[in-house]
Amino acid sequence: MRLNTDMRVNRITDEVWEIPPSEKSGMLVPARIYATPAILQSMDRGVFDQVTNVACLPGIQRYALCMPDGHWGYGFPIGGVAAFDVRNGVISPGGVGYDVNCGMRLIRTDLSLEDVQPRLERLMTELFRNVPAGVGAGGLVKLNRASLESVMVKGARWCIEEGYGWHQDIGHIEEDGCLGGADPSKISDQAVGRGINQLGTLGSGNHYLEVQVVSNDRIFDPLTAAALGIIGQDQIVVMVHCGSRGFGHQVASDYLKLFEKAMRRYGISVKDQQLACAPFGSTEGQDYFAAMNCAANMAFANRQVITYQIRKAFAAVFGRSAEELGMELVYDVAHNIAKVERYPEGDLVVHRKGATRAFGPGHIELPTEFQQTGQPVICGGSMETGSYLLVGTDQASRDTFGSTMHGSGRTMSRAQAKKQVRGEQLQRQLQQRGILVKAVSMSGLAEEAGFAYKNISEVVETVDRAGITKKVAELRPIGNIKG
Amino acid sequence: MPHSFRFLEDIALADIAFEAKGDSIEELFRGATQALLETLANPTSVGSAWTRWITKMDEDVASLLFEWLSELIYWKDAAGVVYHEAPLALTCENGKWMVVSTLVGAPVDRQIQELRNDVKGITKHLYEVKQHGEQWTARVVLDV
Repeated sequence: MRLNTDMRVNRITDEVWEIPPSEKSGMLVPARIYATPAILQSMDRGVFDQVTNVACLPGIQRYALCMPDGHWGYGFPIGGVAAFDVRNGVISPGGVGYDVNCGMRLIRTDLSLEDVQPRLERLMTELFRNVPAGVGAGGLVKLNRASLESVMVKGARWCIEEGYGWHQDIGHIEEDGCLGGADPSKISDQAVGRGINQLGTLGSGNHYLEVQVVSNDRIFDPLTAAALGIIGQDQIVVMVHCGSRGFGHQVASDYLKLFEKAMRRYGISVKDQQLACAPFGSTEGQDYFAAMNCAANMAFANRQVITYQIRKAFAAVFGRSAEELGMELVYDVAHNIAKVERYPEGDLVVHRKGATRAFGPGHIELPTEFQQTGQPVICGGSMETGSYLLVGTDQASRDTFGSTMHGSGRTMSRAQAKKQVRGEQLQRQLQQRGILVKAVSMSGLAEEAGFAYKNISEVVETVDRAGITKKVAELRPIGNIKG
Repeated sequence: MPHSFRFLEDIALADIAFEAKGDSIEELFRGATQALLETLANPTSVGSAWTRWITKMDEDVASLLFEWLSELIYWKDAAGVVYHEAPLALTCENGKWMVVSTLVGAPVDRQIQELRNDVKGITKHLYEVKQHGEQWTARVVLDV
């Protein structure tokens, strides 16, 4: 098998591969990659280099992991998971990502494709008008510094208090939409300046809002699907992918700069400047953790306000309230985050960068509602292919620090994608296939063409066969909004 | 040509990378600035209703370029604008480099502007500023 690395990669199972510590100086633990042989062969060199760099970080436990949607990232690969001892390990902004708490949200409806198809153009226009997207777009919720600080501390709870959602939404968000330990005094003026106008905005790049359909033949686990409100019969659902916008990016940039200096003081050296880190228990480590939690809460609130706008748009188009349309939140998951979680080794700070938490049935941190099913996991594909709803498993808690994949993962650069197709051409092609796309930027649309991504079904099959998540349903796009 | 830039295809799979060149450090700054402006929006489609005078200083020219480009991203978000142009002057006095510019742009309006990518930040990944003879080159990866 030809791989994009000179390092030795040993087969553990057909879905798990290991690079032993002997392959790179400084590796403290092995690196493990979840992939089929075909996916492993398609992975870029960055994955192998970066996951083994992560394996060199102080205090790392068991393995540095990479999920099958992995590709090159800043410091950590996208799809990277690593857990560090809270007493002698580190925290690294490069293990969280610039877009802190970038994540996925899925909203169900009682509508069917038959209800929506005749009004799809109007619905997408209304959603495009209601949910600001693209470069520099400001949000519809006006904040001042004090209210932004409340958002930083309360996350989605702030939105519910202010009327931007339903009380029952909270229990359907990872960590109830509010991470503790957020401290606005650890946030720079620059981050505030960038974030103050951005609540309720989608952004651009690979972020999107998608109207999808669930047909009976694409439900793999009907009982679990029904428990999560997914009934099939060409049911319409809505998926949102976005994060903490410029606010979170500024937090990451501020602390990367701080950590570069702190590392010298703590005698830490890293293989890549973007892996800058600090001991978790140090002042710098705790300050970043407090600031990152602020950004994570901003992201939960961002997706909550977008949900409010989506419900308004549906109500306007279908002439019934969102409650009457059954627009309950299925779940909201973070896929760029660091959190303290308990494992047999003790309390660990688990970094997930382009990876999703996937706690199984009976996990103590899940609410009663998900005790039987396991935690819902939402994985977004490209706008041309499907997306997936999955659930976490006990095996994920045992093998991958309760983690799994997050999406399909890119295989082609943005510049290459734009050479192959123009945005307008792609928009026409998709419309012919029944997918209505509204985009702020046509060049940005071309960059997100389906051929620039891995086949999500193969990625999902990998984690399903590896047992770290179980497929519930495939969600097929019929309408997409991009920044 | 005193300055130029090109987008790089073979690095930064999920993001955008460019290489800027200049016959001097000042021209390098102009090339990198133009690359960033064109990543955000087509500058010719952006008006000039918004202006902001900016000055930044650093002992290290690579750090100054990084901070200068980051400043453009900051104002894009803080003021909700995209740029028409950013004419600049670069000086060096007592070992300190200083860039002075008036940012010229307009509030984002997707009806009239050709908007492109919402760049979230400048990264240190593969970031470098180097000199070959009279020619200065910078490689910059943008997080989008």
